[in-house]
Amino acid sequence: MTGGSWLCLLAPLGGTILITLCGTRIPRVAAGWIATTSCFVAFAGAIWAFFGVHDQHFRPGLQLCDASSGPCRGEITTAWTWLQSGNFHVGLQLLVDPLSSVMMLIVSGVGGLIVLYSIGYMDGDDEERRYFAYMAFFVFSMLLLVEGGNLLLLLVGWGLVGLSSYLLIGFWHERPSAVQAAKKAFVMNAFGDATMALAFFILIAHTSSLSFVSAFNVHLSSTAANLVALGLLGGAAAKSAQIPLQTWLPDAMEGPTPVSALIHAATMVTAGVYLIARTHPIFEQARTVELIAAGTGALTLLVAGLIALVQTDIKRVIAYSTMSQIGYMFLGAGVGAYANGMFHLMTHAFFKALLFMTAGLAIHALAGEQDIRRMRGLGRLMPFTKWCFLAGALALVGIPPFSGFFSKDSIVASAAALGTWYGWIFWVCGIAGALLTGLYTFRLWFLVFPGEPSPFVREHYHDHHGREGAWTMLLPVGILAVLATVGGWLQWSPRWTPFTDWLAPAAPTLQAAIPTNTQEYYTSAATVLAGVAGIVVAWAIYSERSMAIPAMPFWRRTLENKFWFDALYDRIFYAPAVWTAGLLRREFEEPVVLQTGPDLGEATLETGGLVRRIQTGLLRTYVLFLAVGAAGVVLAFLIAK
Amino acid sequence: MAGPDVAWYLAVAAFLFGIGALGVLIRRNTLVVLLSLELMLNAGNLALIALSRHWHNGAGQIFALAVMAVAASEVCVGLGLVVALNRRDLSLDVDRLSELRG
Repeated sequence: MTGGSWLCLLAPLGGTILITLCGTRIPRVAAGWIATTSCFVAFAGAIWAFFGVHDQHFRPGLQLCDASSGPCRGEITTAWTWLQSGNFHVGLQLLVDPLSSVMMLIVSGVGGLIVLYSIGYMDGDDEERRYFAYMAFFVFSMLLLVEGGNLLLLLVGWGLVGLSSYLLIGFWHERPSAVQAAKKAFVMNAFGDATMALAFFILIAHTSSLSFVSAFNVHLSSTAANLVALGLLGGAAAKSAQIPLQTWLPDAMEGPTPVSALIHAATMVTAGVYLIARTHPIFEQARTVELIAAGTGALTLLVAGLIALVQTDIKRVIAYSTMSQIGYMFLGAGVGAYANGMFHLMTHAFFKALLFMTAGLAIHALAGEQDIRRMRGLGRLMPFTKWCFLAGALALVGIPPFSGFFSKDSIVASAAALGTWYGWIFWVCGIAGALLTGLYTFRLWFLVFPGEPSPFVREHYHDHHGREGAWTMLLPVGILAVLATVGGWLQWSPRWTPFTDWLAPAAPTLQAAIPTNTQEYYTSAATVLAGVAGIVVAWAIYSERSMAIPAMPFWRRTLENKFWFDALYDRIFYAPAVWTAGLLRREFEEPVVLQTGPDLGEATLETGGLVRRIQTGLLRTYVLFLAVGAAGVVLAFLIAK
Repeated sequence: MAGPDVAWYLAVAAFLFGIGALGVLIRRNTLVVLLSLELMLNAGNLALIALSRHWHNGAGQIFALAVMAVAASEVCVGLGLVVALNRRDLSLDVDRLSELRG
C-alpha cells in the first residue's frame, strides 16, 4: 500500500522529467501519451493504495498509528528525514489513509481522463510538449498535496499546485490577458500560502512539530487555535476561490479548457475543502472559525450563483458555478460534515470536469468561440456533446438520479441539523443556491443547445473527420458522463452511507451535523423543487419563445461587474501601490537615484585632479614624502608611548 | 670596557643619518644621492653596533652585517643604473630623470 502511494506520486513526476529531457527528439503526440500514461500509472498506484487501506480494515493488527488521534487507519511512510532543527524534524513522508486514498483516486483518475482529452484538444498547438510537461507536473503536485504525510509537505504541494496553475493559466503567453490572469491567480494564492505558513509557525511554536498525529494531539489555547484555524482558512479560501479571495478564478479561464477542467474545477480549487477535512481537529478546537468557513461558503455560493446569471462566456459561467459549488463544499465541511463535503468534491469533480470538457468540445468545434449568445442551436450539430452536457447539467442542479442530488442535499441537510439560527440561514442559502444553480445552468443549456442552429454556428461549425471531436476527446467525456450520472449512487444518505463510513476514521462527521431522517427528506424535496423551479424559470426566459424579463439596470450592472470586487481591490490595493510607486519615482528615483551616478563620476574626477598634483615625477619630492611620513610615524610612536 | 656613553654614539649616528637624508633630499647628482643613502645605512649600522655593545647582545652586530650585505647589493644595482644611464648619454641629474618612458 505504501508502494502504491509512492508509485502514484512519482509516476507523473517521472512523466514530466521524461518529456522535459526528451525535448524535441520525440513527436508532440508522444509527449501527450507519456503524460497520459504516467497519470494512469498513478491511478493504478492509487487503486493499489486504496485496496491496501481497505484490506487493512480487516486486519486490525496492522494498525500502525495511535488510534486515539489523527489518522488511525492507514500508514505513514517516511523516505528520509528531510529537515531537522533541534527537536523539530520533518520527514519526507507520505500518508495513506481513507481520506488521502479517495483524493488520490479522484486526482489521478479524473486527471488521467483530462490529460487524455488534452491530446485531442491541444493537437496542433505550437508548444504541446511544454503543455503536457506542465500537466503531468500539476498532477504530481496535487498528489503531493493530498498524500503529504505532514503539514509541511502539504504546504509544499500547496505551493507547487499554485505554481503549475500559474504556468498553465499563462500557457498562451503571447496573450497579455492570459499573462495578467496568471499573475493575478499567483498573487492571490501567494496571500493564502502566506497565511498558511503563519499558521504553521504558530503550530511549531506550540507543538514543535508539523506531523498530523502530534500537531493534532496537542490541545492548543483558544487564541492559538483560532489563529491557526484562521491562517488555514485563509489558505483554503485563496486556493478554493472563496470570498473575499475569489476574483482570480474567473480570470483563470484564460488557460486552455482542459486546464480549467482539471485545475480550476476538479482538483486544485477543491483543495481547500480537503485541507479543512484534513485539519479538522484544529478547526474543531476553533469552532467559530469553522463556522466562519461555512458562512464564507454560504455567501460565496449565492454571490457566485448570481454573477453566473449574467456571464456571456461559456467558460466563465461554468467557472462561477465552480465557485458556487465549492461554496457548498465549504458549507458542508464548515458545519462539520466533512464526508459530505468530500462526497460533493468527488461528484463535482466528475460533473464539472464533464461540463468543462463538453464546453471545450463546443469551443473546439466553433474554432475558439466562447460567447454563448452566438452558439444557439449547437445541439443539432453535436448530439453527443449535447446529451453529455445535459447529464452534467442535471448532476450540477441536483436532479435525481444524477450524482449532484446525492451529494448536495446531504450538505444542506447537515446545515439544518445544526438547529441554530445560523444553521437555518445556511439552509436557506443552500436552497436559494439550488434555485440559482438551476437557473444559470439551464440558461446556458437553453442558449447553447436546443433549437435551430444560428447562422454563426452554421458558418463556423467544423467537425473532426465526421465526428464531434477526436476519439481521445470523446472517450473521456463519455466516461465522465457515466460517472456524473451514477457517481452519486455510492451514497444515499441516510439509508446507505458507505462513503461517510469509509472516511469516518480520518474525518468523522461531527455529531451536531448529522441530520435526522426527516431533515434529510424535506431538505431533498426542497432542493430538488428549487432546482426544478430554476430550470422552469430558465426555460421560460431563455428558450426560443423567450419571455421578457424586467430590466432592473442597477442589478444587472452590479452582477456584470461581479459585485465590484475587482473594482474595490483595484481601489484598495492596486491604485495606492501605483500611486506610491509614482511618488517614489518622482521624489526619490529621479532626483536621488538617477542623479547619484553622474555626481559620483564628477566627484571622482575632481578628487583625481587634486591628487594628481602631488605626483610630480621628481624623485626628491617622493623622498621628502617618505622622510616626512617616516618622521610622522616615529613621532606618533613616541607620543603614543 | 670604558668609553664614551652610548648616547654619544647614538648622537653621532643621528647626525650621520641627518646628513645622509639631507643629501638625498637636496643633491641632484645621482652618484651623490647613492653616497648619501650609504651614509644613512651606515648611521643605522653605527646605532645597531653601539646598542649591541651597550646591552651586551650580539644580535645587533649580526644585524649590522646583514645590513652591510644588503647595502652592497643595493650599491651594485644603483651603480649599475648609473653606468646604464651614462652609456645612453642621459643626464645624471635626478630632476631631469622624471619621465617614465625612456
